[in-house]
Amino acid sequence: MAILVKKVQLSWWDRLYFPAVLKGMWVTFGHFIRQLLTPTSKRFTIQYPEMKKEMPEGYRGLHELKQFEDGSIKCVACFMCQEACPARCITIEAEEFSDLNFTQGYEEKRPKIFKIDMLRCIYCGMCEEACPKDAIWLRKDYELAAYDRLSLNYGKWDLMNTYAVTDGKPVQSEDNELPPSPPRNFVTM
Amino acid sequence: MILGILSLAPELSWMLIKVLVCIGFLMLLAPPLTWVERRGSAMIQDRIGPNRAALFGKIKILGLAHVLADGLKFFFKEDLIPKDANRALFWIAPALAFIPALLGFAVIPVGRSFELEGTTYHLSLIDPNNGMGLLYPLAIGGLAVYGVLVAAWSSNNKWSILGGMRASAQMVSYELGLGLSVIALFVTVGGYDPHQVILDQVQHGWYLWRQPLGFLVFFVCQFAETNRLPFDFAEGESEIVAGFHTEFGSMKFGLMGLAEYVHIIVASALIVTLYLGGWSIPFSRDGDSWPVLATVASFLAKLLFLCWVFVWVRWTLPRFRYDQLMHIGWKIMFPLSLINLVVNAWWLTR
Ligand code: SF4
Ligand code: SF4
Repeated sequence: MAILVKKVQLSWWDRLYFPAVLKGMWVTFGHFIRQLLTPTSKRFTIQYPEMKKEMPEGYRGLHELKQFEDGSIKCVACFMCQEACPARCITIEAEEFSDLNFTQGYEEKRPKIFKIDMLRCIYCGMCEEACPKDAIWLRKDYELAAYDRLSLNYGKWDLMNTYAVTDGKPVQSEDNELPPSPPRNFVTM
Repeated sequence: MILGILSLAPELSWMLIKVLVCIGFLMLLAPPLTWVERRGSAMIQDRIGPNRAALFGKIKILGLAHVLADGLKFFFKEDLIPKDANRALFWIAPALAFIPALLGFAVIPVGRSFELEGTTYHLSLIDPNNGMGLLYPLAIGGLAVYGVLVAAWSSNNKWSILGGMRASAQMVSYELGLGLSVIALFVTVGGYDPHQVILDQVQHGWYLWRQPLGFLVFFVCQFAETNRLPFDFAEGESEIVAGFHTEFGSMKFGLMGLAEYVHIIVASALIVTLYLGGWSIPFSRDGDSWPVLATVASFLAKLLFLCWVFVWVRWTLPRFRYDQLMHIGWKIMFPLSLINLVVNAWWLTR
């Protein structure tokens, strides 16, 4: 059976149109004046490069490889995150090392290469969940742009320094023992 | 210096100045009007609107640089002509749309006539008592449909044709209401010279108050004439793409867009002259003692306000369906204007 659509019966007042039109114009005028008198910073629009949205708690953005106070990496190259990663975008190569001056010294294992392909990553946070050492965190940064794919293949140095500026930490100098990671090529404005 | 040139060939140079000022004014006002439209619509919709373009990468001036950028962009765009288009018509169509829009302004007085060294100067392109009066802008306004139609026909595109046909049907049906509501006004004035109309309003008050029904019909029909929302049937994003100017690019498109805004200005000027007392200053009846510049300012203020109303209405009302439009044109506007005419005529012979 066909659906009967009930026709809306307008009252004579509505069918005059003009009162309704004037009412509508009053509404838009109100919006116009309100928007005009609102300072730019208080308007709904976030004017992106100058203003940024505060991301909510639990937002999963770019990764950070955490460090101890002395700057040594927390990661012990246990490969848990690599295993957990559904996108298979983490590449780890472990190395032995024994420098007892470092906090981490007793662990005797750390990543030689730690790479995350940021283009393959789906930002699911599984690596963060899997890590027994709390060494890898997903944080609130979401600005990811580069001129080529290779520079989005973040290496250990990139991952350790993603948030260095935001956190006010000194940027870790590139360790001579590590193979040089591909240049991180952020488009900065 | 201007007075010196004036004394050499007063008639000619005065005419020249008037033409330059008038055309210049229209051409200069139209682009900022696009800015008003874009920013105004943004404000109405709680947005911010275009504000990124900057002169020399620095001076943003509230997005006014977008007007310049748009104009510049139009000039540098590739000028495409579709393969099967009628090339000649395609070339003149933008001009056909633009020139009638521009011409309508010729008889509108922008200020009080004044005397200088024994000569009377009139602040309208064509002097009053020329026999055409306000019939002229109405007639020219009727020509504007050719711009749309020729543009639609020449681009050899079905969307364009549909848009053009719709626009012409709409214009033809709204011309009637327009004409009849103005006839009621002319009958009351006893003439159709703009000066006569304005002086009549100086003495007896604006026609907006004296013939509100006529004003309403005229105003609505002007929206249809200018092809503006809620009557923008020549185009329709969801049905016929950009309608009659689907195929136009670069400066041709720019001219079409400009024509629309010039049309708005001229329509506003017409409404001001006919119903809002032209250059007369509100709340004052002493027509001869007004300073000329004050009358010009008064005219401009009314004109700009009406231009804003055109923008304002566009961003308030949804558009009509085609049959609703025809319905309003023939079954509402036409009878209303007839009633207006009959009532006014009866009032005069009473
Ligand atoms: S966020 Fe998900 S996809 Fe990205 S590296 Fe971690 S586990 Fe892999
Ligand atoms: S980041 Fe955590 S889970 Fe991944 S290898 Fe390092 S310690 Fe293991």
